[in-house]
Amino acid sequence: MQDNITKILKAIADPKRREIFHALVIASSALSITQISGQFEISRQGVTKHIKTLQDAGLVDITAKGRERFCVADARPLEKITEWAKFYERFWDKTLNDLGTFLDNNES
Amino acid sequence: MKDVIRKEHSFNYPIQKVWDAISKADEISSWFVKADFEAKSGYAYTFSSLEEDCPKITGVVKHADPFTLIYTWIVEGTDIETIVKWELTENDKGTKLVLEHSGISNYPENSAVTFFSSFDTGWNGCIDKLETFLPQQIHAR
Repeated sequence: MQDNITKILKAIADPKRREIFHALVIASSALSITQISGQFEISRQGVTKHIKTLQDAGLVDITAKGRERFCVADARPLEKITEWAKFYERFWDKTLNDLGTFLDNNES
Repeated sequence: MKDVIRKEHSFNYPIQKVWDAISKADEISSWFVKADFEAKSGYAYTFSSLEEDCPKITGVVKHADPFTLIYTWIVEGTDIETIVKWELTENDKGTKLVLEHSGISNYPENSAVTFFSSFDTGWNGCIDKLETFLPQQIHAR
């Protein structure tokens, strides 16, 4: 069984990859590997490696046109993580407030 | 983004009182959720919600020395284990609680989806005290 969420967390754990991903998200069209390396002043090889990790996590789609490869961001995989986090953020906030109320009412 | 949710909260009460509230079954049952619980390492606990058709939370107590309580947290219908840790320390106000919930990375993709859908229709409506935040949760999407 493939653990995709681990891949996603791994993919976005690296600040440089987050920057690349962010750049792809705000770009309204696909960016080529060449364009990305130009923007980040890292080697083409380095970009390719980061893109591969993002692709493995499902965060980037790559299409080849001629000799160049174009990358598009796909933020959907992140939703699973943010939903989990959002649910439990609220859940625990509420729970700790309830604990506070309980302690207030239970003064002895 | 990390694989952990962390909450800090201070309570103006002695550490033993807060400890009792989070570790004694009758107290947990009165403010949180109906609990079959013992703060004893190895104890297999159950948190049931008030209505019958709601998913239960089960798990095993991993650590229960005052004032640190750690247990696994498994939502019924999934077999994915996450970890909840309550850590109490005394401070000038009374007691500081640090709560950590970790383990989302244990969810394979599909079970995470199942998990959310069961939770949305399940526990959200099950614990009566959660009612107030349910609407926000839905509209936040």
